[in-house]
Amino acid sequence: MKFALFTFVAAVALAADWKTAEPGWQYGFPRDHHAHADFKTEWWYFTGNLSDTTGRRFGFEITFFREGVRPPAQRTAALSRFVVNDLKFAHFAITDARGGRFLFRQKTSRGSFGEAGFDDANRIAWIDDWSLLLNDDGSFDLHAVSNEGAAQLHLRPMKPPVVHGEDGISLKASSAGHASCYYSITRLAAAGELRIGATSFSVHGSSWFDHEWATNQLAPDQIGWNWLCVQFSDNTELMLYQMRLANGQADPSSSGTYVDADGSAVRLKSNAFSMTPQRFWKSSASGAAYPIEWRVIVPERQLDLVVRAVVDNQELNLPPLTYWEGAVDVTGTKSGVGYLELTGYAAPLKALQR
Amino acid sequence: MRPPYLRLFRWHVLRYVRQHRLLSLLNVLSVGLGVAVFLATQLANQSANRAFAATVDLVAGKADLQIMAPGGVPEIMLPQCARVSGVAAATPLVRGFVTLPDFPGEYLDVLGIDVFTNEPFRTFDAGSGDLHGDAFEEWLGDPQAIAVTAQFANEHNLRRGDTLRVQVNGAERELRVAFIFNAEALADPHIAALDVGWAQELFGQRGRLSAIQLRLANGASRQDVVRRLRKIAPADATIAPPAQRNEQVEKMLGGFELNLTAMSLVSLLVGMFLIYNAISASVVRRKHELGILRSLGTTRKEVRALFLGEAALLGAIGTTAGLAGGFLLAHFLVRIVAGTISSLYVLVNVNAVRVTPWIFVAAAFAGLLAVLCAAWLPANTAAKLDPVRALIGSAAPEQASTRSRRWIISGIGALLLAIIFSRAALMTGPPWLGFGAAFFVLAGFSLLVPPSASSFSATASGAFRYLRRRRARSPVELELASANLGRALMRNAVTIASLAAAVAMTVGVTVMVFSFRTTVASWINQTLLADLFIAPASNEIVGPTSFIPPELIDFLQNNRAVADVDTFREIDLPFRGSMIALAVVRGSERRQLQFVRGNAAEIMRRFHQEQCVLISESFARRQHMHDGQLLELATPAGPQRFHIAGIFYDYTRDQGVVYMSAQKFAQLWNDKRVNSVAVYLNEGASAQQLTTEIRERFSRAGEFAIYSNRALRARIFEIFDQTFAVTYVLRAIAVVVALVGIFLSLTTLIIERARELAVLRAIGASGAQVRRLLLFEAMFVGLLASIVGIASGICLSFVLTGVINRAFFGWTVRLDFPWGSLGATPVWIVAAALAAAIIPAWRASKVPLAETLRSE
Repeated sequence: MKFALFTFVAAVALAADWKTAEPGWQYGFPRDHHAHADFKTEWWYFTGNLSDTTGRRFGFEITFFREGVRPPAQRTAALSRFVVNDLKFAHFAITDARGGRFLFRQKTSRGSFGEAGFDDANRIAWIDDWSLLLNDDGSFDLHAVSNEGAAQLHLRPMKPPVVHGEDGISLKASSAGHASCYYSITRLAAAGELRIGATSFSVHGSSWFDHEWATNQLAPDQIGWNWLCVQFSDNTELMLYQMRLANGQADPSSSGTYVDADGSAVRLKSNAFSMTPQRFWKSSASGAAYPIEWRVIVPERQLDLVVRAVVDNQELNLPPLTYWEGAVDVTGTKSGVGYLELTGYAAPLKALQR
Repeated sequence: MRPPYLRLFRWHVLRYVRQHRLLSLLNVLSVGLGVAVFLATQLANQSANRAFAATVDLVAGKADLQIMAPGGVPEIMLPQCARVSGVAAATPLVRGFVTLPDFPGEYLDVLGIDVFTNEPFRTFDAGSGDLHGDAFEEWLGDPQAIAVTAQFANEHNLRRGDTLRVQVNGAERELRVAFIFNAEALADPHIAALDVGWAQELFGQRGRLSAIQLRLANGASRQDVVRRLRKIAPADATIAPPAQRNEQVEKMLGGFELNLTAMSLVSLLVGMFLIYNAISASVVRRKHELGILRSLGTTRKEVRALFLGEAALLGAIGTTAGLAGGFLLAHFLVRIVAGTISSLYVLVNVNAVRVTPWIFVAAAFAGLLAVLCAAWLPANTAAKLDPVRALIGSAAPEQASTRSRRWIISGIGALLLAIIFSRAALMTGPPWLGFGAAFFVLAGFSLLVPPSASSFSATASGAFRYLRRRRARSPVELELASANLGRALMRNAVTIASLAAAVAMTVGVTVMVFSFRTTVASWINQTLLADLFIAPASNEIVGPTSFIPPELIDFLQNNRAVADVDTFREIDLPFRGSMIALAVVRGSERRQLQFVRGNAAEIMRRFHQEQCVLISESFARRQHMHDGQLLELATPAGPQRFHIAGIFYDYTRDQGVVYMSAQKFAQLWNDKRVNSVAVYLNEGASAQQLTTEIRERFSRAGEFAIYSNRALRARIFEIFDQTFAVTYVLRAIAVVVALVGIFLSLTTLIIERARELAVLRAIGASGAQVRRLLLFEAMFVGLLASIVGIASGICLSFVLTGVINRAFFGWTVRLDFPWGSLGATPVWIVAAALAAAIIPAWRASKVPLAETLRSE
């Protein structure tokens, strides 16, 4: 009982130290592409479906995370350079559909000597030689490298950013304060080079960019989420997410966005769509069972889709953050490609739950 | 048919042992004590070494190389190191000590670690592999979040979330127990961990690291990597495997530990005398039996084997008991040894006695070897016994007494050897030859015991006879007792020699410590002149790791009561593959150093104005340097040469110390921090009042230790006495062994002379007279032992102070004798001898006459 009280007090104190996502955020670009250090959690999420000149199919994910450690008020100047204000970490994964392979790697650094950080002129985020650059013409350059593979991609937005949710914030729970600032660039033309082992592939395709920042976005009874983005072949896109409750239900505050070919966005409330798992895959590494095949119905858009993982095993097993994030094929009333993200199956996402 | 050895052994030895239970028990005890002390000393030494090494290992983790510099390594080197070819991983380390005012005397050895880079180095479970959890954020974000060992938390009843008041650099801070981790059992439980960034803040060490630890890439050559690192490292950096620190410390402690070992061997030596005595007694007692055995065809070899077997039996039991006792004693001794090492050399915390089988094997071997060596002579005597004479002469006088001149010649020879060894130890080394000298002093005097005893016996009995004839007032027992001393010369001599050896050791050590104390006292009188001494309180516990804040120094310098302020800073510098202490001093005109030679004023002028240093006497001796020579020191500006302006007396550490002026140091090291200050007051100013002022302004929570001149002197002697605590313990044990020896020898003598005493009774001596006779004999034994012991002890003290002390520690100690306690020595030795004789004498006076005399 005493312990519970303590965590309660701590949670209140913490929430007070950080800015929370409140309605009415005025988005501006390129300003909001950069970091929002007053919020506790932030990420830049790039996924995409690529193919080489012979049609060989690849998927990629490169994500930079920022997790605030010291709230803005405590960040006094002139401290030891080893004192960190943010945790900096990044994930990099490549899916090779033909080889049935999935490579993933995490990188983290203290950044005491400038080897990692956020917001240094056109560098939005970087850790050693992994980096996300925003060019003057609005395009992005992504670079990541590990022993098993590497990616060097140039990404050109084909549509303007789309802000999700209502009044500038995306609600994550029915209770107050659990929300985030969230926008996407739903279609970017990607071109560049992938390397798997010693083999390099010249690739092109389409990418999706999510940028989200928040404090406190998960409510205590939420254990994770299912997230899906689809780029249809008719130049429209769909994004859906479901907040998963500990009791196995989807939180009613789940929602989605449909983007037309002209870039206009329509918000989809939780009752405007349904997502039904069709097939599970059990990870031998983490023991988690992931629903990697779904039936998705959006009646108002006449969408009845089947979403299938390109490769079963696209789990990033990076304890304590273990999740499934992978390339999917979409068939049904419309067809396309996309990315599916499944979190909280191995363990609840405690870090986002304050 | 001759009985086989085992049957013979059973009849001859086991029966004897069974019949003389008390004697056998005492023999066993004497061997046991010797072995126990030897073993306990070895275990204590080894435990201290291992505890230190384990802590070094814990801190070093799996690092292959470590970069350190006396003033700290600039942190900017870290990314440069990581890029050096051949380096697989690099991690920063900040290390410092904090003391805990809520747990007086307690400290934490705080490691500032970087969890991002130290994963490949970790050998312990940090309990926070959790890179994204709350715990991890707390660790990085909370300046107070400290991790302590489970053992430390248990001992101090700390739980997660508890606050911990700490003192560092003369200020008080608050930390919070955020994590409890399990460290390797051997290592110091005072190890604690903090994030490297917050550690820099806590210790005021922004920009600097205590060390950079490196792992080499597979197949990388260590030498090549070191060469590459050299190019980017500060000029005074040490780049070496972390284990090198262990070697340095082991080397530094070597002399100290060898001294303890040597002292512990004295107990074994005394034990040898006692065994010799016991076996001799058993030979004399069983002469008749031996004669029969030899007549029946038992060979000389078998007789010798029989007595060696008896010694081996007693030795084996004694050694076994000694091993157990030594193990127990070690638990007590290890604390004292660790305390001494911490106050003299390096902070070490020994939380357990470390046992390795080979030490037990070595102790057992030493015990048995000592016993067999001691038994060899009497066993040989028994073997050479002529069967006919053995059967006829039941109480034939010993032949040894006739070889008086031989004893004298060998005695003097041994003393000459002692002198030769002493000179060798001082001139050419190695220093341990000094122990050879000490051994030969003891041996020489032991060899002189038989002739002295025999001439004493002759002179004294003659004198008493003369007295009795003249006045008839001198009791006949005195005359008989002094004559008896000469009759059973060999055994009496051995009793006296063993007791004398113990007395000699007591006297030698007492004189050495006393001289040392007097020397230090006079040195303090000349050099310790300031009125107040101020240092961060934590330095008292963990050594000079905290600094005096500049505000306090300003306050003192601007205070009207203060005439002058001396500052003192201590830093370790690498020198010739080891570490030496550099003391940085300011205002030394008042600090009256005593120089070995030269004009003090001129030396001090050069010290302050020229590129000069001063070295202490022990430093000069240890490093074979003398004044006028050049001393090359590693500085951040590269190696610099300094003239040695003078050699001064110093008794603060046996490793020696180099003095440098604060001005010179600040120039080269760019570091003005000081560890302590000495304050000289103006005429009429009150030290008490200034102390109160300082306490109110800077030391409300006791952050500073402030000593008046008198209090500091008292404290110095407290430390001095603590240093010699082990010595006192070993000395006490040697005395106990000697007292056991007296009791043992007298009991033996009396049992053996049962028949003779019975005859005395039969021809009219009363029980009281027999008792008196024996008590007088005991008194003479005690008296002779005291005289020889004091003479030998004084010679031993020459060796201890003049040879061993100088050779090992390089100190000049002026010999000075505690006449009072020397004069008292015969009194308590004689008293002890009398006390030891009471029971045997009483038993002898109750001997049943008829039974004892029946065989006559």
